[in-house]
Amino acid sequence: MDSESRNNMILGEEKFRYFCLEFLKHSQDIGDDWEWKNVQGEEEGYLSKTCYQTRVTKSDDGKKHEQEDEILSTITLEGDHEVEDDDNCVLPQGSLQSEVINYEYHVLYSISYQAPVLYFRASFLDGTPLTLDAIWAKVHDSYKPRLLHGPWETITQQEHPILGQPFFVLHPCRTNEFMSSIQGSASREGNYITSWLSTVGPVVGLSLPLSYGRTV
Amino acid sequence: MASQSPDTGDKPKLQFVPFASALDAGFWHQLTQKKLNEYRLDESAKPIKGYYYNGDPAGLPTRLTLEFSAFDMSAPTPARCCPALGSLYNTNTLDSFKKFDKKALLDQAANEIWEAIKSGAALENPVLLNKFLLLTFADLKKYHFYYWFCFPALCLSDGIELIKPPVSLGEKFSKTQVIEFQKAYDSFCQAEGGAPHPYFLIGNSGDSFSMAPLQKLEEFYTEKDKVTLGVYDPCTLAQYPGWPLRNVLVLAALHWGSRVQSIEVLCLRDRTLQGERDIKHSISFEIKLPQVAQSQACPKAVGWEKNQKGGMGPRMVNLSECMDPKRLAESSVDLNLKLMRWRLVPTLDLEKVISTKCLLLGAGTLGCNVARTLMGWGVRHVTFVDNAKISYSNPVRQPLYEFEDCLGGGKSKALAAAEKLQRIFPGVTAKGFNMSIPMPGHPVNFSEETMDQAAKEVENLEALVAEHDVVFLLMDTRESRWLPTVIAASQKKLVINAALGFDTFVVMRHGLKKGKQEEANDSHSGVPGSSDLLGSSLFSNIPGYKLGCYFCNDVVAPGDSTRDRTLDQQCTVSRPGLSMIAGALAVELMVSVLQHPEGGYAVASSSDDRMNEPPTSLGLVPHQVLVKVCNVLPVSLAFDKCTACSLKVIDQYEKDGFQFLAKVFNSSHSFLEDLTGLTLLHQETQAAEGYSGNMNV
Ligand SMILES: [Zn+2]
Repeated sequence: MDSESRNNMILGEEKFRYFCLEFLKHSQDIGDDWEWKNVQGEEEGYLSKTCYQTRVTKSDDGKKHEQEDEILSTITLEGDHEVEDDDNCVLPQGSLQSEVINYEYHVLYSISYQAPVLYFRASFLDGTPLTLDAIWAKVHDSYKPRLLHGPWETITQQEHPILGQPFFVLHPCRTNEFMSSIQGSASREGNYITSWLSTVGPVVGLSLPLSYGRTV
Repeated sequence: MASQSPDTGDKPKLQFVPFASALDAGFWHQLTQKKLNEYRLDESAKPIKGYYYNGDPAGLPTRLTLEFSAFDMSAPTPARCCPALGSLYNTNTLDSFKKFDKKALLDQAANEIWEAIKSGAALENPVLLNKFLLLTFADLKKYHFYYWFCFPALCLSDGIELIKPPVSLGEKFSKTQVIEFQKAYDSFCQAEGGAPHPYFLIGNSGDSFSMAPLQKLEEFYTEKDKVTLGVYDPCTLAQYPGWPLRNVLVLAALHWGSRVQSIEVLCLRDRTLQGERDIKHSISFEIKLPQVAQSQACPKAVGWEKNQKGGMGPRMVNLSECMDPKRLAESSVDLNLKLMRWRLVPTLDLEKVISTKCLLLGAGTLGCNVARTLMGWGVRHVTFVDNAKISYSNPVRQPLYEFEDCLGGGKSKALAAAEKLQRIFPGVTAKGFNMSIPMPGHPVNFSEETMDQAAKEVENLEALVAEHDVVFLLMDTRESRWLPTVIAASQKKLVINAALGFDTFVVMRHGLKKGKQEEANDSHSGVPGSSDLLGSSLFSNIPGYKLGCYFCNDVVAPGDSTRDRTLDQQCTVSRPGLSMIAGALAVELMVSVLQHPEGGYAVASSSDDRMNEPPTSLGLVPHQVLVKVCNVLPVSLAFDKCTACSLKVIDQYEKDGFQFLAKVFNSSHSFLEDLTGLTLLHQETQAAEGYSGNMNV
């Protein structure tokens, strides 16, 4: 990789926005639920996607602390539970609870690296976060080798620059480098966001439908 | 699909799938901010906003989602979602959370819905039907959040009779009809502002469809037309509608009951799989409209969400992991180390390193740098021993101290260092002991008091060594290393020693003694530590228990180095960078030793081993690293006449304890030399030097 082609891969902020818009257009076309989020009154924004996955678990799988359980069990509806129990218009929920995991993916622009940055986190429906090990445990086996050989040694936990909350971050320090090899060999005219995201996304459970590659 | 009343042969009744509350971490972060900066002690109702999504794949629960934007009533509703408006009651105490009158809260919300239905306001603005309540208590000390959701639904006393059971749209309509239906709905939403409509009326003739808002019923249908109610349905179950249908059926019963006996319901489900939009899994069924009168009282209501155990009760979520700054610091530090393991050293046993308790004797330049490197490795237990105070010249070389620490005579180094570690990383357990270590040749017998004091110090040091796994010798005098060397050898603790010269340093691990019997057997075959064997193959494969200590390398017993200077201690001034290299190397040596399956008993790697397969995932486990002009890894044997680690010394120490030590402290250094036989050896070598003279001391 000579330094000149590496420089070519630097993504300016204008270009970033442009590619994001193009990316969003296709997302809307195919109902992929990517959105552009703005913070109130700020021009700064990010691409965002939320998705859910389920896993069936035994209902006693929860590892709550007994002390808290005790506190919780003292809180009731003050004696009027018959009303609730009498309501046979509610579909009874099965004893097998499915564990639902909420994945959030945000694509932000880093001025200092002049590259897109992927922020992500995963949590259960009540907001309890998953550890990185847990997230990776759910990554499909075929991506495991990539996990170990890709540019992913650079995952850190950082505050989301716009939301101010902790997220995992694929650090962009090597983005330009590996994007040069990807963009260099394949379609140089392609959407940077599409090819970047389809490379880094799968290792953290985010996959893009193939149709993104076909358009733009 | 529906419940058959057991006592009668009634028609089956319609059942609804309740919402599951879904709160993203951002919601709790935002609630925390609001509580701290805005609500404070205010427990009154606050407007919040949630939404439900249409388009889930089968299997996902029907969710009412609240995210960080829930507090911003003007925030846009995400695509393919309908908004739901809620009231947040954030209580100040757990007790207040407990005592909150939940029944009254639900009744009040039900009344509002009932009024909106009666007045027809809900016909104009159907969002009024989808209310929710959220009762919370935020324990911001523990980052525990207690919460209880309520999705109020008005109950019709006899339920709702199902006339025709649900069928999918794919079964009900032809392909063309499905496509036309989709088009009609899209253009209806477009005309109404773009967002999906939660409720709408559906007209159908042949392949063509039309939609209208609820309040247009009179104009939309002729007298004879069947009424079809469309619902934007978040549920994915093929046999049941979701919760949003519930209140709108009460509205339908009240306003349309006089006109029609039954209505058709179409639950619109709209999903995209692999870029293909699909509504064929939408469901359609017919129900009998129950009797509801304007004049009647508000129907009873249900809606408090069950907890994870299926009981009527609140939930609690513990978010200390992602909200407590101290926990965040800890998990980030761990993550960094784990990444090193995942990426570079898959067999690295981090737990072994992190759980190691380290005793740092000396909190000067070496102590500071060793401590910082230990922190880098995630070591959570560090104890300092030093009797010095921080002086003005220290902070520039000793990275745990600052100018302020020197004022007023200076803080104790050990205490200040421990305090600073805790400030750098609250996850560490750091302690400091302002204490001196008795030294050979430094008398303690001036008075009873000074003797007692020394006895106490020895006792303390023994206890400290016992409590830790690894002892670092980082003092600036040679003889102060003697006592801890003896104690650690006796207690069989790993000792890592770092000593600085002006532009040279040595970092070494002391040999780790074996049981007494094995030791005695080995000492017969042991080669005396004469260094003319250096570099020969005799120095490969030396097991850890045969390796020497700091004092084995000398033929001079430790004495008062301010009087009898030994070669490596003539000068306590060293190049400033050395201590950092040496401190770091000392820790790396410790980590390598810990990674070796035999730990301190690991065979010493020598310079020659650099070409071979390394014994641990982190490479070589040398005995010593001597850094000067060139980097060599010398190995030396335990010297059976060593003044610190030889059997004779350890025996005496273990047998007579402080009495023995007091003798050492109070006598000249020849006491130890006499004891170990060094004096005799000296005499012999002096005689031998007469003819050979190649002794390399
Ligand atoms: Zn020794």
